[in-house]
Amino acid sequence: MAARSAALKIDWAKVSTSLGLRGQTAASLQAFKKRNDDARRKVQVLSEQPQTVDFSHYRGILKNKAIVDELENHFKTFKPATYDVNRQLKAIDAFEAQAVQNAEATKGKVEAELQNLQKTLENIETARPFEDLTVDEVASAQPEIDEKTASLVSKGKWMPPGYKERFGDLSAV
Amino acid sequence: MPQLVPFFFVNQVVFTFVILTVLIYTFTKFILPRFVRTFISRIYINKL
Repeated sequence: MAARSAALKIDWAKVSTSLGLRGQTAASLQAFKKRNDDARRKVQVLSEQPQTVDFSHYRGILKNKAIVDELENHFKTFKPATYDVNRQLKAIDAFEAQAVQNAEATKGKVEAELQNLQKTLENIETARPFEDLTVDEVASAQPEIDEKTASLVSKGKWMPPGYKERFGDLSAV
Repeated sequence: MPQLVPFFFVNQVVFTFVILTVLIYTFTKFILPRFVRTFISRIYINKL
């Protein structure tokens, strides 16, 4: 009766509070708990009922003895149906392994992302003001600048479009 | 004025072409591209 003892050991209130379950998960857990309680109550009620039948008493009061014999025969040969739950247990184990694997993968992903974010944050915090940057540093941060320069130079254009409008023109000619 | 003396005409013409060629080459290859790069970087920084 390992399953029953395990079920008894669960502290349901603690499970939902300590894991911080919310929404659908908490609702499913509640439903599962209710199902468990109902089943347990049913088992208790049924086990309290008498499990033996006094067939000699019925033989004494009923005229039709054949039916009592038949019922006794049925009662003696009755065997509760047993279910093979190994398959379900195996499926649950597989599901759990899969879930754990997924969780590990997600954990790794989240950690990598956190590291990336940390790096970005450091970058932002240690960034120097624009006045202290050289053109080489800006160009290495944005390779697009070199590409655009090369394309303008190859076309023989020495002034990027929009530059004069933005910064003015110092040429005397 | 030696530049008006016909004896030096060939020399002057040769050096004019040589100097112009060198100037144009250095400007198009080295100097002006640097200017363009600076301009583009400035535009990029101002966009941020």
